[in-house]
Amino acid sequence: MSSYDAAAARAAMPPAPAPTQPDAGIGETSLRIGGMHCAACAGVIERALQRVPGLLAAQVNSVSGLGRVRWDRARATLEQLLQAVSDAGYSASVERGGAARLQRLRESRLALWRLFVAALCAMQVMMFATPAYVSTPGELTPDLQRLLAWAQWLLTLPVLGFAAAPFFGGAWRALRQGRIGMDVPVSLGLLVGFVASSGAAFDPGGPFGSEVYFDSLTMFVSFLLAGRWLEMRARHRAEVALESATARLPERVWRLRADGAVEEVDAAALRIGDALRVPVGQAFVADGVLLDGRTEADESLLTGEAMPVPKAAGDAVIAGSINLGAPVAMRVERLDADTRYAAIVALMRQARSERPASLAAADRWAGAFLWGVLLLAAAAGVAWHAIEPSRALWVVVSVLIVTCPCALSLATPAALIAAAGAMGRRGVVLRRLDAIDALAHASVLFIDKTGTLTERQLECVAIERLAPAGLPTEALQAVAVSLAGWSHHPLAQSLVRTLAAAPMAWRSVLEETGCGVEGVDAQGRRWRLGAAPWVGPCDAAGGVAQVLLGCDGRALLRFTFDERLRRGAAAALRALRADGVQVHLLSGDGASQVQRLAARLELDSARGGLRPEDKLAAVQAAQAGGLRVAMLGDGINDAPVLARADVSFAMGEGAAIARAQADGVLVSNRLQDFHAARTLAQRALRIARQNLAWAGLYNLACVPLALAGLLPPWLAALGMASSSLAVVLNALRLAR
Amino acid sequence: MDALYLLIPLSALGVLGILGVFAWALHSGQFDDLEQQGAQILEAEEGSVDVRQGRIAPDLKQSAQSPARATTENP
Amino acid sequence: MNANTTAVHYTDAPVRGFALAAVVWGVVGMLVGVVIAAQLAFPDLTHGIPWLSYGRLRPLHTNAVIFAFGGCALFATSYHVVQRTCQVPLFLPKLAMFTFWGWNAVIVLAAITLPLGYTQGKEYAELEWPIDLLIAVVWVSYAIVFFGTIGTRRVRHIYVANWFFGAYILTVALLHIVNSAAMPASLWKSYSAYAGVQDAMVQWWYGHNAVGFFLTAGFLGMMYYYIPKQAERPVYSYRLSIVHFWALIFTYMWAGPHHLHYTALPDWAQSIGMLFSLVLLAPSWGGMINGVMTLSGAWHKLRDDPIIKFLIVALSFYGMATFEGPMMSIKTVNALSHYTDWTVGHVHSGALGWVGLISMGSLYYLIPRMFGRTTMHSVSAINAHFWIATLGIVLYIAAMWIAGVMQGLMWRALNPDGTLVYTFVESVKATFPFYLIRLLGGLLYLAGMGVMCWNVVMTIRNGAVRAAPIPQLAHA
Repeated sequence: MSSYDAAAARAAMPPAPAPTQPDAGIGETSLRIGGMHCAACAGVIERALQRVPGLLAAQVNSVSGLGRVRWDRARATLEQLLQAVSDAGYSASVERGGAARLQRLRESRLALWRLFVAALCAMQVMMFATPAYVSTPGELTPDLQRLLAWAQWLLTLPVLGFAAAPFFGGAWRALRQGRIGMDVPVSLGLLVGFVASSGAAFDPGGPFGSEVYFDSLTMFVSFLLAGRWLEMRARHRAEVALESATARLPERVWRLRADGAVEEVDAAALRIGDALRVPVGQAFVADGVLLDGRTEADESLLTGEAMPVPKAAGDAVIAGSINLGAPVAMRVERLDADTRYAAIVALMRQARSERPASLAAADRWAGAFLWGVLLLAAAAGVAWHAIEPSRALWVVVSVLIVTCPCALSLATPAALIAAAGAMGRRGVVLRRLDAIDALAHASVLFIDKTGTLTERQLECVAIERLAPAGLPTEALQAVAVSLAGWSHHPLAQSLVRTLAAAPMAWRSVLEETGCGVEGVDAQGRRWRLGAAPWVGPCDAAGGVAQVLLGCDGRALLRFTFDERLRRGAAAALRALRADGVQVHLLSGDGASQVQRLAARLELDSARGGLRPEDKLAAVQAAQAGGLRVAMLGDGINDAPVLARADVSFAMGEGAAIARAQADGVLVSNRLQDFHAARTLAQRALRIARQNLAWAGLYNLACVPLALAGLLPPWLAALGMASSSLAVVLNALRLAR
Repeated sequence: MDALYLLIPLSALGVLGILGVFAWALHSGQFDDLEQQGAQILEAEEGSVDVRQGRIAPDLKQSAQSPARATTENP
Repeated sequence: MNANTTAVHYTDAPVRGFALAAVVWGVVGMLVGVVIAAQLAFPDLTHGIPWLSYGRLRPLHTNAVIFAFGGCALFATSYHVVQRTCQVPLFLPKLAMFTFWGWNAVIVLAAITLPLGYTQGKEYAELEWPIDLLIAVVWVSYAIVFFGTIGTRRVRHIYVANWFFGAYILTVALLHIVNSAAMPASLWKSYSAYAGVQDAMVQWWYGHNAVGFFLTAGFLGMMYYYIPKQAERPVYSYRLSIVHFWALIFTYMWAGPHHLHYTALPDWAQSIGMLFSLVLLAPSWGGMINGVMTLSGAWHKLRDDPIIKFLIVALSFYGMATFEGPMMSIKTVNALSHYTDWTVGHVHSGALGWVGLISMGSLYYLIPRMFGRTTMHSVSAINAHFWIATLGIVLYIAAMWIAGVMQGLMWRALNPDGTLVYTFVESVKATFPFYLIRLLGGLLYLAGMGVMCWNVVMTIRNGAVRAAPIPQLAHA
């Protein structure tokens, strides 16, 4: 047994908040629909939903099997909608994670729409602008020139008014916060260019001259939006990969009715006070209290404890833990956002926002750079106004465009996105791109033991005969495996995995919670597989746990279990230390076990018996020393630490909370991939630096040209586009 | 080039029209799940095939046995 | 709730009618083509009979093959595809039948008035104003039927072929109405609303977009449905087909001026025409690759199935024509090719190769199913048709290429003192053998059409008209 006091830890968890009232406003959810066998079925379901008063919108897709519904919560309930689908002859259940999916759908649609508007209008504007480029002076009559200019103006309106709105919005927000963001020079350039071109279009003899540059502006916007769209798609792909790695609470549960009958309902339809029947092997879907029965719950994902926790009537159960022992009934006390699980997630989010923010390198100097740009543009305008007023405005626009930090702003993200993609292919999924910077610079790694360095399941490391005479060992093993197959207990499952299957006939099999499995074989012998005193008298052994096989009260075989080090772990840690990273093991498990494991590895330090607060203190101490800290863990007791570290990774098999809070997930569960990710991160930063250097040089070279009036806006825009392309192509080298 | 006084406004209107159509398509979900949509046309059954020659569409065997498949929807 | 949810059968009467009309008009149009090809080689062939003169028969040929043959094929396939992909019968079936009778009335009127010499003189828009009005009425009805069917569809997603059909219908309506604007002077005489080079600009804005939307977008719609259906595989990349559609839509508009290089059209307008014709290359080839690669993993079907041969070879000609076109729109190339038979060769590689073959392949898929069968009466006849037609095409375009380049070179050959080396008549004489080869090519193509005619008749004889059931749902 670990010295980590799970009960105390649970008691130390924050109290659950009061439940919220969800009955007002507009509900929107994603449904998983079954039974559709043709395209027209979707229409039938939509029509069935539309017959429910209070439904606002329904869209069903027969290909993906998903549907979206929006309804007025005051007039209809989700249950009514699900029932309508069921009455139509199909099945429907709420899609978990649907909210995130809908959010992504909305985001991607809006981005695509903006991009299409910008690109289509830019194309047409270019068509209208081409006559001016290909004609000789005087060939186009003034009337025709005006017509073409007006047409360009008209088609630029949607681009600036709608497609470019994010840039203007970003610039406005930055200015309100009193700083200059990247969007400011972009917005300025667009606005100045548009105003001046409009002037030239409608009043060719006026102060703005007669040259219009709508094509440069619209092309510029299209290009920026294309870059953002690509980044968004990469981010969405990463999110989808992450979501598929997270465990799900059950979607359908068995509710006990007052008359004792059991009905299957959607988990989203549960209410507080409902009684549920939880079969063996299913996760508890809500926080609650056991009503009857005795069982064991696997809370390892939440508490990090490998051994199941016994539960009796009146004991609290936690959402997300798994019922191992026997089917039981529970009463729901807290649901969804109100569970302890969710409360901890909220706490972690708060912790994260207070952690030392590592400003992206670009942001630090961006402010100064952008001020410089604006001053330069203004100076150019003033200077040219004195020299040749009609060109002043265009020089300003050219300067703004050519100094537009597009290549600069792409330099780092392009490299980061390419690196994230490469990491994803190697089994490391990132949630935030700036984790790459922190990962590359991390010089201290704190790593957890159970589930991180070691496999989550205990491994059988020794099999010992306790009684010399009797059946051969193989036969005894066969009996053990056969009995073990009847239990969900993690140790039994480990046995089944390690030993060869051996089907046997049993007259009866019975699992006793907290003790083990007992079976009566064909010859009438009573075999028991389980804990020591119940099977037969035996001394304790080394290792973490032992399981005994006994017959008629005598222990015959002992299986000793220990933690198994992940394959490649030792090599991975060696490689990290060779790269100059200090590796420290922090574990909540007993000190002696920790030392045993540490002896098998080369570590800078190993400490056991730690509580979450102790781990946190260790991280803070390292950070106070000026070091960048990386954390690799998997359990809920690691969660506060994951939030505090400069960069954190959770194991793919880890607790849902850990995965939700970490900067990245090691979906491959291989520590070598973590090392590879770090190397990739360093390469990414190198390439980002190359990109920045190139972009900076390009700006440096072009700015004098623009200042000298040698760079018309369209050439400035073209140059910016090509240099941005060069940056992206350089970044793609990472993708290999 | 007076004809352009007609053609250019016409094409500008055309662009706005195209934008409108694209907006409708995008927001009514026409561009969701694109790859599977391409295979949908292959699922539709072909009815009324001469049983004496050629392949018989799978659904036709059923309809040959139960020719009266009433629709169950109310207008 | 719309009435279509209770309908049980598709509306295939118009589909059947148009499909058969396409075959018939195909033979007629190609026959006229053979006649005028013969006339170019043997000018006295028709003894000066006015209504058989080349000047009057040529527009009959172009209208018959484009609007009668091509048009009926488009009507038939668009009505067929929109119903099958939306799983509803046609919207306003009686209006659909009106379009059948109306369109065929237009063709018959054309067949009468054009040889009689009634013409507006605008290429592919020769028909006089009363017929133009009838076309407008029929076309608006067509649009109502087609878009109405989509509006009452039972399948949410609108298959990509319908986008191409829809774009072609709307654009042709716009083009026709704008270009045919005319002031009538008498029943069969009118004056164009535009004059001189303005008229030329509008005319070729119409002309090229007619090619782009009538002869390309519409038939691409055909391609995107019948190739997957016949190959029993989905389109190679459905996403690409959507991108293809949108890319084509907004690049086509400005390519018109390439018909007017070195004419009175201002230089800059010609330059734009050239530039955007080149830009058009990308989306066109994207679509071609998408269609051909649908066979990826099943190339043996190209060997075994003659209908697939028609459909895929049509796409190769499409690729060829959409490459040749932009090349010819480059001013320097155009300086050689304009007014020569190279242009004729280009047109016919697109018309015989792309439009003709894709229509034939699609009709070979469609017609048996309109008569209760899955295959035509004779598959070997389809194969024979394919080879005869392909041979005809190759002879035709090869002859015209050689003739065209030869003419261009002859016309621009200058003596050192700046005078022309050849008289015009000499170039005509030199072209004569190529006219013969082209005539042979055309005859072969017509013969292939004759084989198709026979095959269709036999298929109808051994088939039966049956109502096609709309897939019903197992439960409400």
